[in-house]
Amino acid sequence: MTAPRTPLVEMRDISLSFGGIHAVDRVSIDLQPGEVMALVGHNGAGKSTLAKILSGAYRRDSGTIAVRGEEAAIANPRDAKRYGIETIYQTLALAENVDTAANLFLGRELQARWGTLDDIAMEAAARKAMGRLNPNFQRFKDPVKALSGGQRQSVAIARAILFNAQILIMDEPTAALGPQETAQVGDLIKQLKAQGIGIFLISQDIHDVFDLADRVCVMKNGRVVGTARIADVGEDDVLGMIILGKCPAGAIPGPGATERSQ
Amino acid sequence: MRRLATALLAYVALSICFAAAAEAKGKVVGVSWSNFQEERWKTDEAAIKAVVAADGDKYISADAQSSAQKQLTDIESLIAQGANALIVLAQDSSAIAPAVQKAVDEGIPVIGYDRLIENPNAFYITFDNKEVGRMQARAVFAVKPAGNYVFIKGSSADPNANFLFSGQMEVLKDAIAAGTIKNVGEAYTDGWLPANAQRNMEQILTKTGNKVDAVAASNDGTAGGAIAALAAQGMAGAVPVSGQDGDHAALNRIALGTQTVSVWKDARALGKKAAEIATLLADGKKMSDIAGAVKFSGGPRKIEMSSLFLIPIPITKDNLDVVIDAGWIKRDEVCQGVKPGTIKVCG
Amino acid sequence: MPPLARFLRSTELDTRMLGMVGVLLAIWIAFHVLSGGLFLTPRNLWNLSVQSSSVAIMATGMVLVIVTRNIDLSIGSMLGFNGMVMGVIQTDLLPKLLGFEHPATWMLTLAAGLVLGVVLGALQGCIIAYLGIPAFIVTLGGLLVWRGAAWWVTSGQTVAPLDDRFTLLGGGPEGSIGATWSWVFGLIACAAVILSLAHSRARRRKFDFPLRPMRAEVFLSAAGCVLILAAVAVANAYPWPIGSVRRYAEASHIAIPDGGLFIAHGIAIPVLIAIGAGVVMTFLARRTRFGRYVYAIGGNPEAAELAGVNTRWVIVKVFMLMGLLAAIAGAISIARLNAATNSEGTLAELLVIAAAVIGGTSLAGGIGSVAGAMLGAVLMQSLQSGMVLLGVDTPLQNIVVGIVLVGAVGIDTIYRRRTGSGS
Repeated sequence: MTAPRTPLVEMRDISLSFGGIHAVDRVSIDLQPGEVMALVGHNGAGKSTLAKILSGAYRRDSGTIAVRGEEAAIANPRDAKRYGIETIYQTLALAENVDTAANLFLGRELQARWGTLDDIAMEAAARKAMGRLNPNFQRFKDPVKALSGGQRQSVAIARAILFNAQILIMDEPTAALGPQETAQVGDLIKQLKAQGIGIFLISQDIHDVFDLADRVCVMKNGRVVGTARIADVGEDDVLGMIILGKCPAGAIPGPGATERSQ
Repeated sequence: MRRLATALLAYVALSICFAAAAEAKGKVVGVSWSNFQEERWKTDEAAIKAVVAADGDKYISADAQSSAQKQLTDIESLIAQGANALIVLAQDSSAIAPAVQKAVDEGIPVIGYDRLIENPNAFYITFDNKEVGRMQARAVFAVKPAGNYVFIKGSSADPNANFLFSGQMEVLKDAIAAGTIKNVGEAYTDGWLPANAQRNMEQILTKTGNKVDAVAASNDGTAGGAIAALAAQGMAGAVPVSGQDGDHAALNRIALGTQTVSVWKDARALGKKAAEIATLLADGKKMSDIAGAVKFSGGPRKIEMSSLFLIPIPITKDNLDVVIDAGWIKRDEVCQGVKPGTIKVCG
Repeated sequence: MPPLARFLRSTELDTRMLGMVGVLLAIWIAFHVLSGGLFLTPRNLWNLSVQSSSVAIMATGMVLVIVTRNIDLSIGSMLGFNGMVMGVIQTDLLPKLLGFEHPATWMLTLAAGLVLGVVLGALQGCIIAYLGIPAFIVTLGGLLVWRGAAWWVTSGQTVAPLDDRFTLLGGGPEGSIGATWSWVFGLIACAAVILSLAHSRARRRKFDFPLRPMRAEVFLSAAGCVLILAAVAVANAYPWPIGSVRRYAEASHIAIPDGGLFIAHGIAIPVLIAIGAGVVMTFLARRTRFGRYVYAIGGNPEAAELAGVNTRWVIVKVFMLMGLLAAIAGAISIARLNAATNSEGTLAELLVIAAAVIGGTSLAGGIGSVAGAMLGAVLMQSLQSGMVLLGVDTPLQNIVVGIVLVGAVGIDTIYRRRTGSGS
């Protein structure tokens, strides 16, 4: 057995309520470097909300977040980025009316003399970043709304990996993609893993989960049903966790588990 | 606890009733303003209030903010508040008819203030607006009996603008027919805004190549705009300009020589008279018995009305002391910037 | 593609802007013909530039407001209120402290007005951004409140005349910079155009980016300079009126020669201020982070938030800018009229919004150009002033302007849909 390493991210007892609804209820989850942790569950299970708490979009009501062993104060998206946490949102969160380079550097623009935007440098960096992901992409001057769905996805991904992310959150990255692009995303994830980057992968697609993830965490109604290594469980087990909340033998149960199955 | 609350509420309600009843001892004079924002009406209000207070009566008012619609509601509300007489500065003389009729039906005397309300049961008190126009034209004509005239009119949405223009035309029509006076430009001024008057005057000056000899402006605000345009062409002071209202800035311009005349309607006299007549009518006096009342049927529908016409006074550089002596404006305000020795009233 | 179209494409000029300039020229030529040769004269064009300056200045700020998916209906009332305050400060307050016609009066007055404008804008901006009340409602309230406040300053009385130096801000013979300085300004502007083209070319080369063909660069430099210098020449062709010349000659003890003394107006000060505002606002919108955030918020406010942009603070700043520009426009308006009236600026917000929209700003947010808005202001003022020149009376003028506004935006919407672009 390998010596226990300091997890890249450790979220403990995270809770967040909207009105009276517990969107996230005492969730604990951790992520190791170079690992893909899949986060699955029904719509409304709280996966995206949990991810947004980590990315700084929402403020948690209670619980702690530790990054590389040290307590992290994440009150807004800027803080999260400072800890190396980058997110690819389900809606992509791109500003449609500005171009690719502007989106890549949104909030972190490169500046030239006297505080002006260094558009040329940003475009050069954009060309490099997009070139790695999508070598045929040339429409750097067009606003993002003129790009295709797949191209938009590339922009969102490029933005996430441009700033030396250490922790990547990918929310349904392949939902709108065709098989070829999905395979490309898969390759990218493998590359990033190899670099030691930890990835939270939120997905509804069980196949993707079993293809790409190392561990899986199932949430139901805001609570963790169970966490397991992919190697230790089967697809049916995971489905059982999602739908019934039944935690199988190979998984570590959480507060949301209804019963241990035999 | 609940009984205490009910008792408190009852007490409050009763005291309001008593207070209202107590107030109802004196008469209530209600005034419906068309748009209180314009510079002039504050003076009218002060005069009305003074007379009403001196009689021990109560003054209530409402501002229609230039909406004929709102004025209907305002008048209904004044009636509901117990007005014994109404003074109405109509936003729109025709649209006001139903509200006025309502008041008349309830036996509440109505006084049409400054603007005509054509209801035979209403009393009409005003400065003769057509006469204002005539006075403006006369004063300018006296300085420049021949040449190119420009007419900076009021707002096309205000019937008074046409009264003024027709008064001006009455005085000038013979000269225009004879060809000694030429109308080289006329324009309505949207909203009576001085900035619009300035722009229109600029364009007319461009059109005529500065060949303008006189400007008949319909009020002091638009006169100010026209004079600013003339000043940019170095023509201010050389071209006579008329106005009305006795704005302090305009009276100063008359002293400086850039404006020729401002027809002054002592709003205080109008307000005072209106309030006095309101009280008399509320006490039951008949309209025909008001001192100085005449029969007037010069309105568009030719309805005969009891009216009182106050005479406006054209203020030129020769009689600036009238406004100073009447307490309308202080001497140093009139004389600000005037070179000593240029005009008698400033020394 | 035909060579001319290819060449135009290579200059990277915005086709929509070119279209607007074309429409403006068409309107000018039409008015010139209809008015019997009066419209395209130095005098009328000079007047037009001054008449447009107030709306143009405010339109530059309104672009940013609308881009962030907000609106500001209160600018006319802010202008009026600010104008009254500036009037009272220079005719009442400062003379009591400093005496009449003190050289610093105009500066202090202007400074006070600018501060007031920023404060009013910040107040509205904070309510909109931090309390989350829709901008339409807040600024509608502002429209009512500041207009009432404007009346309150002097109980409705007009304040006139104003400080002599302050009125220079409004234009007129003394309020223009004269021939020499106008040429200086023109040459500086020309140099700025050439330098910025050169700089941009150098930056592109550094990163091996595709460059504009040299012919296009030369064309742009030449066209820019020619237009600037032509405008200066027009301003310099408009002489002082004879009354002013005489006064000046007397004061300077010069004899007037037989053919008359030609003193050129040059560029009017309010026009310089408007150009300055345009340059600064364009710079802010396109070359600073603040401007980038304004557009990003307009495109997708949530994305901007998630990217870590302090969206609320950006919105407050946008409204502060708007207040500042309304204050500048107010100073110019009252200086031009040489009086502060409580009705100043009435309905200005509608003209300003119309100018911005004609200039290409989309009311849905995210899209807008400062230069376009200024062009839109000039276009609308050309219509109004041109019609007075033709003797068309006010009610008909309003009908025409309304039709043109709807027509312009309609054409723009169809054009955008056809080309499928958002730029």
